[in-house]
Amino acid sequence: MAFNYDAYLRTNKMPTLWCWGCGDGVILKAFIRAMDKLGIDKDDMCLVSGIGCSGRFSSYVDTNTIHTTHGRTVAYATGVKLANPDKTVVCVAGDGDALAIGGNHTIHGCRRNIDITLIVINNFIYGLTNSQTSPTTPRGFWTVSQKAGNIDPTFDGCELAMAAGASFVARENVSEPRKMEKVLVAALKHKGFSYVEILSNCHINLGRKNKMGNAMANLDWIDSITLPKKKYDALPEEEKGNYLATGILKQDEEAEEYCAMYEEIKKVHQGKRAKITPDDFNKKL
Amino acid sequence: MPLMKAPENTPVWTDENRCKACDLCVAVCPAGVLAMRYEPHSVLGAMITIVEPEACIGCNECELACPDFAIFVADKKEYKFAKLTDQAKERAKKIAENNYMMLGA
Amino acid sequence: MSTREVISSGNDLAAMAAVDAGCMFFGGYPITPSSEVMHTISDLLPKVGGAAVQMEDEIGGICAAIGAGMSGVRTLTATSGPGISLKAENLGLAQMAEVPIVVINVMRGGPSTGLPTRVSQGDVAQAKNPSHGDYKSITLCAGTLAECYTETVRAFNLADRFMQPVIVLLDETLGHMHAKAILPTQEEVKKNIVPRKTFDGAPEDYKPYGVAQDEPAVLNPMFKGYRYHYTGLHHDADGFPTEEIETCRKLIDRLFRKVDAHRDEIELNEEYMLDDADILLVGYGSASLAIKEAINVLRDNGIKAGMFRPITLWPSPEERLEELGKKFDKVLVVELNQGQYYEEIQRCMGRKDIEKLTKTNGRPFSPADIIEKVKEVF
Repeated sequence: MAFNYDAYLRTNKMPTLWCWGCGDGVILKAFIRAMDKLGIDKDDMCLVSGIGCSGRFSSYVDTNTIHTTHGRTVAYATGVKLANPDKTVVCVAGDGDALAIGGNHTIHGCRRNIDITLIVINNFIYGLTNSQTSPTTPRGFWTVSQKAGNIDPTFDGCELAMAAGASFVARENVSEPRKMEKVLVAALKHKGFSYVEILSNCHINLGRKNKMGNAMANLDWIDSITLPKKKYDALPEEEKGNYLATGILKQDEEAEEYCAMYEEIKKVHQGKRAKITPDDFNKKL
Repeated sequence: MPLMKAPENTPVWTDENRCKACDLCVAVCPAGVLAMRYEPHSVLGAMITIVEPEACIGCNECELACPDFAIFVADKKEYKFAKLTDQAKERAKKIAENNYMMLGA
Repeated sequence: MSTREVISSGNDLAAMAAVDAGCMFFGGYPITPSSEVMHTISDLLPKVGGAAVQMEDEIGGICAAIGAGMSGVRTLTATSGPGISLKAENLGLAQMAEVPIVVINVMRGGPSTGLPTRVSQGDVAQAKNPSHGDYKSITLCAGTLAECYTETVRAFNLADRFMQPVIVLLDETLGHMHAKAILPTQEEVKKNIVPRKTFDGAPEDYKPYGVAQDEPAVLNPMFKGYRYHYTGLHHDADGFPTEEIETCRKLIDRLFRKVDAHRDEIELNEEYMLDDADILLVGYGSASLAIKEAINVLRDNGIKAGMFRPITLWPSPEERLEELGKKFDKVLVVELNQGQYYEEIQRCMGRKDIEKLTKTNGRPFSPADIIEKVKEVF
């Protein structure tokens, strides 16, 4: 016996159209195992993806799936979730999708703390469109839009999500599938906005021109820039800039979730409670 | 948990219709169980092959690392897997050095 | 039809209409002169168990609304011209994926930031093709306070019938006009709701986009056992991306035909004092209020003018316009833009010798403007 992924897959769409060795497939598998571990019914989930290689993620999972426009996953998902608060709503986006063109929706999804899990597949590049600089491309890397070397500062999506108010923030490395599954289980279980960044390989459109032209070399590089949170925290401040912390970086189970708060709005308008005042936020609604 | 039936007396098996020959499973196998064979009809000219099934330790690393749902490992309750030997480790190293291709082919 | 009298504004009436028509979701962003739609619906929706959310931007507003629509509920967004410009890409997705959504555009002066608090009918051409690519828009245009209500209701039924966005054009004058309106009762509206078609056979037989060439997709509500895929890419009968030549051709052809083949279900016009008229005035939206008044004055002065008013702007009433173009020698088009619908009327009538009265300074027409123009050109 072995785990039968096919029970969750649209098997007639296999093989995936991702390149050989692409981390997207490894993440897809971990996601399916997490779904299974939590016993989420395929009918009770909506999976929303954007544009980019990660955009195809939704088409492979046998659930209710939406392939949206570039960057808008969280906005679409907000509509799905608010209209169906009892369902599990998950977004999958790339680094360009979630942090560049869709940055605003990411920020405000976090701020609302709406119960959506956003999986950001960060491969440090625009892979689908052939190697343009993304907000997470390391400085000095070759990109097709900055062939002289990327000068754009990179930014840290997890720090952004924490600052914006997401109540669950985690990062994992695609070469750690077991840890990735655990983090996804925790994120899906969490009531509130869960930002999960998975560092993934694009040895084709990041790697080939940056001296890591196969999946293993690209994954080794990711391993070299990541440290589990505990070890990362123990680093001297001046060294922290060289690493990205992995694991669960923030988990706040007390933060008010948006759909739950919206139920209170309904009660106000239905005459079942008094209007919401600043005092209400010193205690639970 | 949805399960698929293992072929009889088989520790690890593959689906060649799904394999894209990325080498990842070979790279993560600690026991030199897997390697690539030349396969002119495959896109990248190679195909996954189980070269030493009886050396499989059932660690499941290949299954977890495979992006294409193309490799499967039997349950530990159903198959008596081998212990990791120095010989197996050495073979794994040599396969990696051979660009993940089968040795002696 | 049982009716009731309400004293309200166009924007408020549109919000009330949406909720009466069964809308359960609103996603939007503040913009003058449409914000009151959001203000009002954010009180009304939670009362009936729905949800209204003010998103972080115009794009977020329509995306949330489309998301809710994809899940199966009736859904609304409201904005003004600059907002439509921002929403355009996602309106295209709703056209392509065939998601019913009602979009209210309370028109203000443009282009760009233009005249935010002033009236215009400058978004008529935009409403035909807000997004890139080929598709067939449905656009309704309210001409009275009551129509701010009834056309919004009609828009929801059309959106579900044709599974696509329906734009309702209001303008600053109507949106902010506060007066008496005679409306159908809520019971009357509820009685006439026609929900979207659904498939109730075996899930394995379900082909959401596998429909007759002149019919819309049949998209079941989510979470009911019919798991399918929405995409803005060209897609096959199952909804999955494809580049297969014939499938791509047929998909776009169907997006046109589903509307074109059923124009009779969409078209709605008003004809005012046309039977004995010598002069045809064509106008729509709030401009028609001034046109009617002008006709009354002109007739008092012995000039027999009448009005043709399209309420459905897109698709345009081609056949009726062609007939009228043959019947009337003297035709004057009156609109608060530089002639966006004038060109369409020329096309439909198959003639160029028609007059136009246009205005783009943010002010409404007065009847005197129209009377003067009629006397000048005819």
